[in-house]
Amino acid sequence: MLSLFPSNDYLLIAVILGMPLLGAFVNGVWGKQLGKDAVRVMALTAVGLSFAASVAAFVALSQLADQQKGEHVKLVWNAWEWMNTNGGAGGVTVPIDVKFSIDALSGVMMLIVTGVGFLIHLYATSYMADDEGFARFFAYLNLFIFSMLVLLLGDNLPILFVGWEGVGLCSYLLIGFWYEHAPNAAAGKKAFIANRVGDFGLICGMFLLVHYTGALDWNGIANGASSLLHTGEQARVHVWPLGGGQYTGVLSFLQPKSPVTISAATAVGLALLLGCTGKSAQIPLYVWLPDAMAGPTPVSALIHAATMVTAGIYLICRLSFVFVLSPFVMVLIACVGAATALFAATIALVQNDIKKVLAYSTVSQLGFMFLGVGVGAFTAGFFHVFTHAFFKACLFLGAGSVIHAMHARIHDGDPSQDLRNMGGLRRWMPLTHWTFAGATAAIIGLPLTSGFFSKDEILYRAFVNRTVNPAAAALQGRVYAPPAWIGTALYATAVAAAVLTAFYMCRLYFLTFWGEFRGWTVGRPSLLSKHEVAAHDDHGHGEHHEDLSTPGHPPHESPWQMTVPLIILATFSVFAGWLNPGFGLSRQPMEHWLEPVFKEATEGAVVYAGGHDAAWAEHMTLPLALGGIGAFLVGTLLAWWMYVSQSGAPAKRAAEAQPALHRLLLDKWRIDELYDATVIAAVDSLAETAAAFDRAIVDGILARLTALVVAASGTVLRAFQSGVVHVYAAMMVVGLAATGWFFAVPHANATVVDSGNNDYLVTAAPGVGYAYRWDADSDGKPEKSDFGADSTLKLHLEPGRSQTVHLEVKNSFGLIRSKSIHVARPEEPTSSL
Amino acid sequence: MIPVEHYVLLSSLLFVIGSVGFLVRRNVLVTLMSIEVMLNAANLALVAFNRSRLRHAVEQAAPGPSHTGQVFAFFVIAAEAAEVAVGLAIVLSLYRLRRTVRSDEADLLKN
Repeated sequence: MLSLFPSNDYLLIAVILGMPLLGAFVNGVWGKQLGKDAVRVMALTAVGLSFAASVAAFVALSQLADQQKGEHVKLVWNAWEWMNTNGGAGGVTVPIDVKFSIDALSGVMMLIVTGVGFLIHLYATSYMADDEGFARFFAYLNLFIFSMLVLLLGDNLPILFVGWEGVGLCSYLLIGFWYEHAPNAAAGKKAFIANRVGDFGLICGMFLLVHYTGALDWNGIANGASSLLHTGEQARVHVWPLGGGQYTGVLSFLQPKSPVTISAATAVGLALLLGCTGKSAQIPLYVWLPDAMAGPTPVSALIHAATMVTAGIYLICRLSFVFVLSPFVMVLIACVGAATALFAATIALVQNDIKKVLAYSTVSQLGFMFLGVGVGAFTAGFFHVFTHAFFKACLFLGAGSVIHAMHARIHDGDPSQDLRNMGGLRRWMPLTHWTFAGATAAIIGLPLTSGFFSKDEILYRAFVNRTVNPAAAALQGRVYAPPAWIGTALYATAVAAAVLTAFYMCRLYFLTFWGEFRGWTVGRPSLLSKHEVAAHDDHGHGEHHEDLSTPGHPPHESPWQMTVPLIILATFSVFAGWLNPGFGLSRQPMEHWLEPVFKEATEGAVVYAGGHDAAWAEHMTLPLALGGIGAFLVGTLLAWWMYVSQSGAPAKRAAEAQPALHRLLLDKWRIDELYDATVIAAVDSLAETAAAFDRAIVDGILARLTALVVAASGTVLRAFQSGVVHVYAAMMVVGLAATGWFFAVPHANATVVDSGNNDYLVTAAPGVGYAYRWDADSDGKPEKSDFGADSTLKLHLEPGRSQTVHLEVKNSFGLIRSKSIHVARPEEPTSSL
Repeated sequence: MIPVEHYVLLSSLLFVIGSVGFLVRRNVLVTLMSIEVMLNAANLALVAFNRSRLRHAVEQAAPGPSHTGQVFAFFVIAAEAAEVAVGLAIVLSLYRLRRTVRSDEADLLKN
């Protein structure tokens, strides 16, 4: 396998990338003509072949890794040179190539994207079977797979950015897939714009990196990363005054006593973090992800749960060696993650839309991943990405299966996703139920499932890990040290979030699959006329129940294209945890596999809290695991008591006891309203100002006033257009006479040129038959009494003196005109400044 | 030999008559005739000068017989013929369109 392609020119990457692109092109251009069967085959083949090639590449990579033990091995394909730029300390040339590479980190992500992507494609062939935009959907989905692979396999930041924007575009297109419905289009725009804010950060990070490290590819940045830490004040990034200037004059009150500076590492980290919060839906840019559920459910599963939203965590892992240089940014990442995990979980507690609950759950789980990478446990954070891809994709696809089943009874979109209309579905859809149960067990942290292992490792690392500046000695103590209690606070927040996770996921599971089915009264066929029943029953499941006393069609299990992906994903959700079980066990394949990627970054940067040693950390393993297990038990039992044994009565009582709080949670803390009132209002007023300027200045003065002047002069000039030929002829005669007069009289003009040595040369303008007479001192007595051909006069003037020259010009008709020319020489300059 | 001043005087007289006629008469046919008179006044001046003064100057530069003025006059006559042909065609069109040959009634392009 390895011998087929050399590792430094690994052409198989072209197949991995090219197949989804081909699928997108074929389905996008000829999809309508090909028909649904051909589109289905094309889309599945494209992603399937890409997955097969990914597996082959992964096997080759693992063989290479075995050969070079402990080395950070890569399979590289340099497609072509893209452009060059300048950067770094010496202004070196920075090549930017279209270059792709597979290493341990991107290899795993590549397998997730193509593998889970293939399953979701298979699922979607059934889920979207009746949709009119079938071909368009698969074109977008294939394009997404391509863009995501570009993001993951890109060997430098600009290529990653191309993929980053590509997945953003596909996300936008797929959220607004049913664009006829206005809220869907608005949700797409919201996602696009929120991501642009993050992209601004990512671009700034790129600029800073190219300026300080002089490289944009992973190896180059790693080599130049040390130049991000400077001791000199001038070499640091000046935050205030921005760019290191000085405020003077009226602005001097803005000038601080000493300029506020941060190290370049912190600046880069903050900029990149902004980009990651946008893509990975963290505070403050998480608002787009819940709305993104307006897209079809397979899209929610693939893009907004399993793959694209983890791009931010991937980027932090990818550039871990940059992030660890700034402990402040690392702590900030961890805090953002923990806060998001808890915050989103509180919202998920009370939501009634099955996809909304899962959306906030995704935001919350992404927060856990941020927490993991923020405390320097890159493997733990990335392992949660890995397990989350399976269980959250399974949950979303299960929710899609439930919605599909509910559509048999309820044909309107929103009520068919409402938990209040579900219940007891395990009776009719056993496969969906059991797979959903498996994935739920994983996310709530049932011991020995994948989510338990990955989440527990994050909780554990949040407590025992601490990030320190690896170059602290060189920086002479100018390093940020996080407070000692931060580990405890992060651990407590994460445990609280885990309790809430267990509670809301069990609530979702119990409300959907347990109890009695509550959907009989919604869209009940007996309440509709027979005609409407025929028109609404576009699914055509079973016979029409014309007996008005029976409750109508029951919900039904989904076809095999939907259940097979569910089974596979649920299997992985339950068992994938054994790839990295933690707890000091000797077999940790994932950690071993990723070790070369993160070894460089974590060495010297990630230590044990409070100066403890590895023995202490090992000693803490079991006590800290109790937090995770306790969270699981508390949340699950509370949900069981509320929604199964008491059938939801305590939940109702709690909501009635605290109506304001319940309302606030239901309204998602009214963060959207807050953003409307602040950010969007500010942008709106800026737009209003610009529009007023446009109306008054551009339209009013530049356009209308100019037009008015032209129109007025046109009105005046039109009066001369009498249409009478004789008037024109008379005017012509007048004009001819004026021209004739101009040529008949002489014109006395002269130019004065400084010819050096205090001499001036006065030259009279030439003309046909002209003769000149000069009077240099204007005393009324010309030098020569006769007119002559001499058209120049030389004049000697000392500094500070001036003289008036009198010139007379005569032409052939004997007419004479004269002119006085004043010539002055300025004083010599006296100042030496 | 008649002095050239006489010719020039006659030529100026003809030109003034032509230009006054051109400016004051409203009949387009008369206007055309006035133009003819002006052109012929110029022709007269051309041939008269060729016979007298200018001939002197030209012969100093390039000795031998000179007929520049006469040749110029022939060109003017050719241009005149073309101008009359076009002018009369315009007058006919104008008459068909407006039933008039008075130039002050042909003001379709007014304003």
